[in-house]
Amino acid sequence: MKNPIAIFLMMLVPLIMTLLVGLVFGGQSEQKLPVIKVLFVDNDGGIISGFLKNGMQQDTLAKMIDLKIVDADAGKKLMEDGKASALIEIPENFSRDFFDRKPVEIRLVKNPSETFLPVIVEEMVKTMVVLLDRAAFVFAGPLDMARVLFDSGRWPTGDEIKKILEDSKNGITLAGGYFSGSLITFKTETVSDPTDGKRDVEFNIFAFVIPGSMIFGLLFISEITLRDLVRERGAGTLQRILVAPLRGVHVVTGKVMVTFCITAVTCIIILVISAIGFGVNIGRPLPLIVHFIGVILMCTGLMSFFYGFINSERTADAVMSVVIIIMALFGGSLIPFEQLNDTLQAIGRFSPVYWAGDGFKQIFLMNAGLADIAMHLVIVYSIAVATLLPGGILLEKKLGRGD
Amino acid sequence: MIEVSEIRKTFGSVKAVDGINFHVKKGEIYGLLGPNGAGKTTTISMISGLLKPDSGSITVAGIDIGGKSGQIRKRLGVIPQEIALYDELSGRENLHFWGSLYGLSGKKLREAADRMLELVNLTERANDNVRDYSGGMKRRVNLCAGLIHDPDLILLDEPTLGIDPQARASILKIIRDEATSGKTVIYTTHYLEEAENLCDRIAIIDRGTIHAEGTLRELTELAGEEDVVTLTGNFKSGVTKEILSGLRIDHLEDGMVRFYVSERETIGMVLNKFFNSGVSIENVSIKEPSLESVFLRITGYELRD
Ligand SMILES: Nc1ncnc2c1ncn2[C@@H]1O[C@H](COP(=O)(O)OP(=O)(O)O)[C@@H](O)[C@H]1O
Ligand SMILES: [Mg+2]
Repeated sequence: MKNPIAIFLMMLVPLIMTLLVGLVFGGQSEQKLPVIKVLFVDNDGGIISGFLKNGMQQDTLAKMIDLKIVDADAGKKLMEDGKASALIEIPENFSRDFFDRKPVEIRLVKNPSETFLPVIVEEMVKTMVVLLDRAAFVFAGPLDMARVLFDSGRWPTGDEIKKILEDSKNGITLAGGYFSGSLITFKTETVSDPTDGKRDVEFNIFAFVIPGSMIFGLLFISEITLRDLVRERGAGTLQRILVAPLRGVHVVTGKVMVTFCITAVTCIIILVISAIGFGVNIGRPLPLIVHFIGVILMCTGLMSFFYGFINSERTADAVMSVVIIIMALFGGSLIPFEQLNDTLQAIGRFSPVYWAGDGFKQIFLMNAGLADIAMHLVIVYSIAVATLLPGGILLEKKLGRGD
Repeated sequence: MIEVSEIRKTFGSVKAVDGINFHVKKGEIYGLLGPNGAGKTTTISMISGLLKPDSGSITVAGIDIGGKSGQIRKRLGVIPQEIALYDELSGRENLHFWGSLYGLSGKKLREAADRMLELVNLTERANDNVRDYSGGMKRRVNLCAGLIHDPDLILLDEPTLGIDPQARASILKIIRDEATSGKTVIYTTHYLEEAENLCDRIAIIDRGTIHAEGTLRELTELAGEEDVVTLTGNFKSGVTKEILSGLRIDHLEDGMVRFYVSERETIGMVLNKFFNSGVSIENVSIKEPSLESVFLRITGYELRD
């Protein structure tokens, strides 16, 4: 290409953008995360289930979690309607069994239509379960005391609490070696989608944020590269190229191929940095590669198609950024898709950016296989085919060549 | 070598080219002389294949350019009116790029570029970015970019637009030399002197059609033996009409008149008549038959730079 440094700088733009978005969302400010709707079915009504319930409504978590206490039937219904990301169900006599050190089980039901939010809930509940579980050993002595209080059906007085706390110091020394073995088990299921429960990928905020901003960046890279066509047209160099013994088709295919390559390289760089720099699990190779190629083809195709209607750099300036930003906005590049309201999400599903970005999210966060993202692939590849061919033809026509 | 017949091109409601015919022989420099908007660039673009004529046909060396134009394009050198170079590349890099589009490569390409740079005296500045060149230097590189592949047929669209006399002379000389070595040249311009000095045959083009065509001699003969006289002064058009009765008037308004005379004595008589009717004449210009007067007669206006 004519100016490798300029192109290199161009490729850095989405990269920097991705990093910035990642840092903003991934930094100290958890409140930027989407609010997760969680249903809580408390069949126990005891101290421990209360502890879980309160734990999830405490300061930092409360910002992330919109906890709704429901009864079992209402919970089931809401989950089936897809009105919440997850449902936590505490079985009957949970607190009592816990104090008796009988095995107990917490049920977590995930919404299959959502991908990461349920995972976040799952991680959270797991953490709490681990805490409780360990507490059951550490506080072995004091727990008995607590049980007495529990059985008496009243809240402990100040003195009694003091006693419990003092005993717990001994408890810690006593229970020092007991950290293995678990009394509380944790059972995850998914509403009407039994295949979805088994995945277990650590939630990484960058894996959540990078796909959207990456697609945004890739669209811009494709746009900037194809913009050369109108720029050269304005400068007269395109006309000069066209009088040379090349076919217009070759000029167009050449440009589209260059666009594909530059966009692909940018994407690879972002993926590598995500994996190495931010510890993002970039998933299994096959789905990653198939989706990657589809997305690059789609970005190149979309931009070729749009440029098929654009005559001057001025028009490009006015139109292209707006088109890209709208697609990105509804597609969840700027605001995480999960945080958009129902109407916006419905619109967003018409944005190619959503399918491209969400595909990567599925791969990163859910370790999705080809079958899991079949829908994404069909849509992304369809858009690619539907835009690349007409885009190429329009561009070639635009070159004003008779042959 | 090239045969253009009845080509037409309309842009919306503008008939840019409205039925143009001409042919150019091998080794000839054919000039298209006309004002801005006459349709010169549109004609050149159709010959170079950049635009498809709405109707009519163009053949080069017997091959219709509407069909397989690949082999013709190779033999075609186009120098566009607008400077079409990459600003961020040097003159030499530009020539390398444009040469490579025509299949030149390696040593052959480098030698061709060096030869061209030498030809236009740009060897010393060859490695500077085109951005930093003067208008005349850009024009010269623009010319070289169209000639580097040694084309048989050269299309030049106002290649001397807005440059200093030295650079212009150098460009004209190069074109002359190309024709001498057997290349066929189509040259558009709105400069009368260029058409007079450079072209073997000239077509006067205006509003999309060719109004007259021939060698300089043939064209000036068209204008006949008549001189063109232009007078300015404080006269009214009514008075003037009386005084000039019997003469062919080309243009008449208060204070200005242009007419044709076949004998010089007539001018004296006319001036006397004006003098006698109390009119003072400020300026008298007499033009002998020339391309300029032909142009004036054919189009009804003067061609100015
Ligand atoms: N692409 C175009 N779109 C619309 N009008 C055009 C276009 N190209 C040329 N024209 C019009 O056609 C006429 C001839 O233009 P052109 O061939 O450029 O003249 P010249 O080169 O002799 O100055 C002008 O009136 C010009 O405005
Ligand atoms: Mg022109």
